[in-house]
Order: sequence, then structure tokens, then C-alpha cells
Amino acid sequence: MVTITYRDADIELDEDVYDPAEDSYLLADVAIDVAQDGMSVLEVGAGTGFVSAVLQTNVGVDLVATEISPFAAECAKRNGVVVIRADMFGCFRSGTKFDLILFNPPYLPTAEDEKVPGWLNYAFDGGVDGREAVNRFFEEVTPFLSNGGIILMLISSLTGMDEVKMRMLKQGLEVEICNIDRDCFFEELIVLKGTLKASDQL
Amino acid sequence: MKKDLMNILACPICKGDLVLNITKEDEKEIISGTLYCSKCNEYYPITDGIPNMLPPELRE
Repeated sequence: MVTITYRDADIELDEDVYDPAEDSYLLADVAIDVAQDGMSVLEVGAGTGFVSAVLQTNVGVDLVATEISPFAAECAKRNGVVVIRADMFGCFRSGTKFDLILFNPPYLPTAEDEKVPGWLNYAFDGGVDGREAVNRFFEEVTPFLSNGGIILMLISSLTGMDEVKMRMLKQGLEVEICNIDRDCFFEELIVLKGTLKASDQL
Repeated sequence: MKKDLMNILACPICKGDLVLNITKEDEKEIISGTLYCSKCNEYYPITDGIPNMLPPELRE
């Protein structure tokens, strides 16, 4: 079993689960900057639990995660993350609110013949335009944000940054670019921060 | 799973309340059992401490 250590958190990996990569490190770093002690946090699609485990090791948050893959859910739990097997927000009672919601979505444009077999496909397959999971997330997320609640979402230049920003504005979110990663070979990674304006819920 | 998760969980189909049935627990959490929705007549299993809240068609 391979274990990696990042910012004082030890994370066990699993061969059937997406390995933490540049995108995971970037989202974890921004999450630590943005989160404050006592915040209720949800990570959607936790994978190995890397981002959640690193965040809760460094900030005193109250965190739960959802994950669709049985292998990833078991891995996240082994890494100390409170995890529920669920499809995005499907398991939550209406009226459940989070101060911070994290999402490292499958963001790569994916054709039918590029799909990978089994549960791992959920980690990669962003649909034909790379925004299938992103768009569904934004359709469902707002009722689960507390007043002034924050979304941190990692995306790639391949996902279409302008399109995602427009989608967030349409949802009534204030949008900021939180961090731009050093360039990878073929894409640029950023974290988009969306804040639900407090007045929207008064 | 910890019992306080019951405060935020609902049936993924009808969003209604769930009935918790514990078959095994330790001092920290529920290890196995079920969450039951009487309206949908559907059981959601808790296995190795993880509640499986996927609708039946997404489970496998």
C-alpha cells in the first residue's frame, strides 16, 4: 500500500482510485487558505480523501464528503474522512447547509471511446465538453450553501474557464480566480471561488 | 458512520426521513446496518461504516 504525506497528513492510496496529482495539491492548498476553524465543509467526490484529509489536518473544520465509487469511499474512510456513498448531493436532507463546498470534478472533455472501464471513469469523464459534471454540480449546489457560503472548484483550461465562470455568475455567485498553477505540459489549472452573496438568501 | 449523520441524510429518491437499524456498532460509530425509507420501501445499507445512499440503479 502506497502512502504519501502532504502538509502533515498521511494519505493511503489505492490502485482502483484516482491518485492525487497537481490538481489535488492545488485545491488542498487553496482550501487551507480559505477555510476557517468551525466551518462546516462538504467535499463532493472525495476520491482517496486527499483534499479532505489535508484540510482537516490543518484547519479545525467539521467535514463530510460524498463519493460514488465504493473503492474510493473505502479509501477516503481509511484516510479518516467521514464519507457517504452518494451521487453529488443526492443523500442530503433539504435545508442542510455548508459554509464551504469543495469539488475537484472530472473536467476533461471525454469522447465515448476514451471512457475508462469501471468506477474510475467517474474520476475522469467530464462528458463531451468537459463540463457535464460541472454543470450538474451548479444546478444542484446553491440550496446547500449557507449565507455567504463559498465554493472552491478546480478546473483546467481544457474545461473552458470562461464558460464555467459564466455558469457560476448565472447561479448568482460572485466569482474570483483564487490561484493559477504553474503550467503543466498541456493545460493550466485554476481554482475558481464562488461566493453566495449574503443578500440573496435574506 | 456516526449517528449524528442522521441529521443531514435523507432518502435520495423522495427526500423523506429514514429509519436507522443498527446490526453492529462500536464505541465510535455504526459499522453495519440499514437506513430504511418507508415511503419508497427501500433499504440503504451501511457497510464497513459507510452508508450507501445511492439509488438502487446506481449501486453496481
